[in-house]
Amino acid sequence: MKEAMPFDHRPDTALGDALRRALDPGDAAPFVARVLARASEVRVASWDAVLARWARAGVAAAVFVALAAGYLVGRATAAPAARPSVYDALMAPPAHPGEVEIVLASVIGN
Amino acid sequence: MTRAAAGDRAAFGVLVERYAGVARRVARAVLGNPEDADDAAQDAMLSALVKLDQYDPRRPFGPWLLRIVSNAATDRRRRRTVRRVEPLDPGLAAGGPLAELPERRRVAVVLFDVEGYSHAEIAAVLGIPEGTVRSEVFHARRRLRALLVDWKEEA
Repeated sequence: MKEAMPFDHRPDTALGDALRRALDPGDAAPFVARVLARASEVRVASWDAVLARWARAGVAAAVFVALAAGYLVGRATAAPAARPSVYDALMAPPAHPGEVEIVLASVIGN
Repeated sequence: MTRAAAGDRAAFGVLVERYAGVARRVARAVLGNPEDADDAAQDAMLSALVKLDQYDPRRPFGPWLLRIVSNAATDRRRRRTVRRVEPLDPGLAAGGPLAELPERRRVAVVLFDVEGYSHAEIAAVLGIPEGTVRSEVFHARRRLRALLVDWKEEA
C-alpha cells in the first residue's frame, strides 16, 4: 500500500483489492434474477412520457440560446437613433403654442 | 436507458447486471450485513426503474444510480435499530477497520479505491463538495492502512 499522500488522486490498488474482497457480494445471478422478478411488478412511465421529459430540458436550453443569440445580434446590428439637429429643433412646432404668443406679446409690449 | 424506462425488461436487465456489483458493494459498505445490503440494493434498483424518467441523460448514469443506492442503504440502516450488525469480513472485520469509519467516509473510499470513481462523481453520489470527498478519502485511507497493518501483524 502506498504512503498516505494528502488528496492523492490515484486509486490505491492494494487497499482497493482488500476492500473489494471484504465487500464481495458473491454471485450476481440470483440477485439479478430477484430484482428482475420484482421489476415485473413495477409500473413505469410510457415511452412518450420519458422522451417528453428528457426532451423538455433540451428544448428549454435551445430556446434560451436562441433568445440570447437574437438579443446579441439585434444589439450589434441596430443603427444608433438619429439625434435632431439644431435646425430641426428650432423649426419644429412648439409643444405649447400659447407660449409663443406670450413671449411675442411681452417683446412687442416692451 | 430510454428502453429500460419505458418498461423494456431486457434493457433493464442489462442495467441491473452492469451495476449489480457496485450497487451491492456500496450498500454493504453502508450496512455491513450482506442480506440487508442486497435488500437495499434491490430497493434502489427498483426505485431507479421508477425514477428513470427523472434521470438527466446528459449526466453519467452510475453516480445517479449510486446516489439512490447510498440513500436506500442509509435509510435501511436508520430503520434497523434493533438488529445486530454482522461483521463485514474475517479479514477487514478483525477489529472492524471498515466498520470503524463513519458511513460517508466508507462509501467515499469504496467508490474511489474499489470502484474507480472520480472525486467529482463521488461528490455527486454523496451530495457533498468535491473537496470534502478528497478529505474523506484521505482520512479513510490513512485509518484503513494503519488498521490493516495492525491486523496483518497480529495475524
